[in-house]
Amino acid sequence: MSADAVLELRGIAKSFGPARILEGIDLSVRRGERHAVIGPNGAGKSTLFNLISGLFPPTAGSILLNGREIAGRPPHRINRMGLARSFQITNIYHRLSVFENLRIGVMARHGLRFSMFRPVSGLRAVNAESEALLQRIRLERRRDQPAGDLTYSEQRALEIGMTLATGPEVILLDEPTAGMSQDETHYVIELIREVTEGKTLLVVEHDMSVVFSLCDRISVLVYGELLATGTPDEIRANRAVQEAYLGEEVA
Amino acid sequence: MALLWRLLPLALLMAVLIGLPPLLGAGLQNAMTNMLIAALFAVAFNLLMGQGGMLSFGHAAFYGVGAFAVMHLMTAIDRGGLSFPTPLLPLAGAAAGLIVGLITGWFATLRSGVYFALVTLALAEMLHSLAPHWEGLFGGEAGISSMRMPWGGFLFGRVIEIYYLTLIWVTLCIGLLYAFTRTPFGRLTLALRDNEERVRFLGYDAHATKMIVFAVSATFAGVAGGLLAVSNEQTNYELFSTHVSAQVVLHTFVGGSTVFFGPAIGAAIFTLFAYLVSDVSRSWLLYQGVIFVLVMLYAPLGIGGVVMLHLRHWARIPWRRMAAPYAGATAATLLVGAGAVMVVEFLEVLFSPHYFALRRRADMGWPEFHRFGTSWEPFGLATWVPPVLLLILGLLVLLRLRRRIVALWEEVHEQAAAEGRGEA
Repeated sequence: MSADAVLELRGIAKSFGPARILEGIDLSVRRGERHAVIGPNGAGKSTLFNLISGLFPPTAGSILLNGREIAGRPPHRINRMGLARSFQITNIYHRLSVFENLRIGVMARHGLRFSMFRPVSGLRAVNAESEALLQRIRLERRRDQPAGDLTYSEQRALEIGMTLATGPEVILLDEPTAGMSQDETHYVIELIREVTEGKTLLVVEHDMSVVFSLCDRISVLVYGELLATGTPDEIRANRAVQEAYLGEEVA
Repeated sequence: MALLWRLLPLALLMAVLIGLPPLLGAGLQNAMTNMLIAALFAVAFNLLMGQGGMLSFGHAAFYGVGAFAVMHLMTAIDRGGLSFPTPLLPLAGAAAGLIVGLITGWFATLRSGVYFALVTLALAEMLHSLAPHWEGLFGGEAGISSMRMPWGGFLFGRVIEIYYLTLIWVTLCIGLLYAFTRTPFGRLTLALRDNEERVRFLGYDAHATKMIVFAVSATFAGVAGGLLAVSNEQTNYELFSTHVSAQVVLHTFVGGSTVFFGPAIGAAIFTLFAYLVSDVSRSWLLYQGVIFVLVMLYAPLGIGGVVMLHLRHWARIPWRRMAAPYAGATAATLLVGAGAVMVVEFLEVLFSPHYFALRRRADMGWPEFHRFGTSWEPFGLATWVPPVLLLILGLLVLLRLRRRIVALWEEVHEQAAAEGRGEA
């Protein structure tokens, strides 16, 4: 294990019954880097995220977060250990206000999990942090509207805001720009660049221009196996990657 | 100012609840006591259903457990000379509700949706079938009865005393449940309803959270059951029946589960309705069912939801143009109601054993029958034409007016949407 790895996957495999989704994944994410996972549809990228974030346990292998085993732990434990994720399909509280969506996350960071004997309006630190977060994701004007009423790109921004709300050290973003126009993509990428400053980012993304401009290192996943990991230049120059995946788009 | 407007209806309601009962007879006082108890039960239930997003079909379990706990405490005071303040009896209901709620909640909240509903239904059914055979705990089929003891200068013998005791408890408990919605955990409960998965991925233990919401709801349901026991001085296993569980679901949906006070409104209206109509008509359960179906079809947000809709858009509603259709629709509803009630009541009489006895006496002919203070021919035009005409006329008018009201409301929503865009 490299000394500066914050997230380390060793020999991760996942099968659903007879279907092998992932096989022998070794991946090391360095502290403070922006790391992309790319690969064709069905390569197992989302499954990889689900394993790391605890949606289900891996069939084999181990996942270390700051050297501590997290494989097989429930999502809320992993979150409390400093890893938060966003979802490919927007996963927000539709009927709650935008502010409330963020505050739920901030409350968790403050350990207010079973607090039922004081009003939430009196929690100054929590409310101030939620307001600050609201500004960072630039949704102040939407503060009191139900999250379900936001536009798609606003919901994606909220999704990222909620992921940040628990104050994670490692952030997993699952296709943050999926289904967006160019302008919207640009807006969200700038947002990601800004809010992940000083944190570790692992992102699944289909838009290659986004991946190459945003990330420090890239891992290529093809048919459940990790083909290569390297800097954008290395990945561009990698023959196997070109053949397997980039060929169609880059050539 | 806004706060004042909010508090004014509450203050008025409290004034009525405090000032009115002494002017009423014991029967109505008792009905109002039951109304308050039903309101608390429904609000407690809605913490789980409306706020936590967990539809329980077995809430009678906690209501019943609360009632039995209070009965046992009451018996202990009465027989054993245990000194316990009578006004605090419902605390036993709260404790029982909490304990049983925690245990059953742990299991029930392992599942969601339909499976959760079925587990709760099964739990209540289990108690319902167990209780009549468990003499010691549930008093067998006869149940348990006891006496309230005088305490602190109060005899607790008159209905009005019990009414005020209930009022204090219900006000306190509904107040606490309202305060609960304002706490961090109360907010988390709403988040749980909207998206349980995200709650887990934000670092919350969803199962523990659901279990506690369940237990809090069960605690206050237990208080409601306890108050019923205090009021009736007896209780039996029928309190665990599906009918009781269904009743609270019905109250909550008709009152409106999306509004905090909605379930209380639904419970109050239906309890009063039951008291007033069950004396006059045997078909009152049918009426209740029909009202439930109509509300679900045409106002799925319930009474509370409809009220909130009007309050939210108050300034945008074109009241001048809306007034006539609203008044007309109200009148037409009354017509339809009158026609429907007449038809139902006539049929009820004609199919009753009582009328069959009359027919036998008349050699299986079709003698006149009595209803609404006069007599009717079973096959007379004068019997059937007026109600059917009322029904048809009323329905036609309603359909026409409905279109106009819907069109006007579309304007309101469009305006609201435009304002939303304008701000954004």
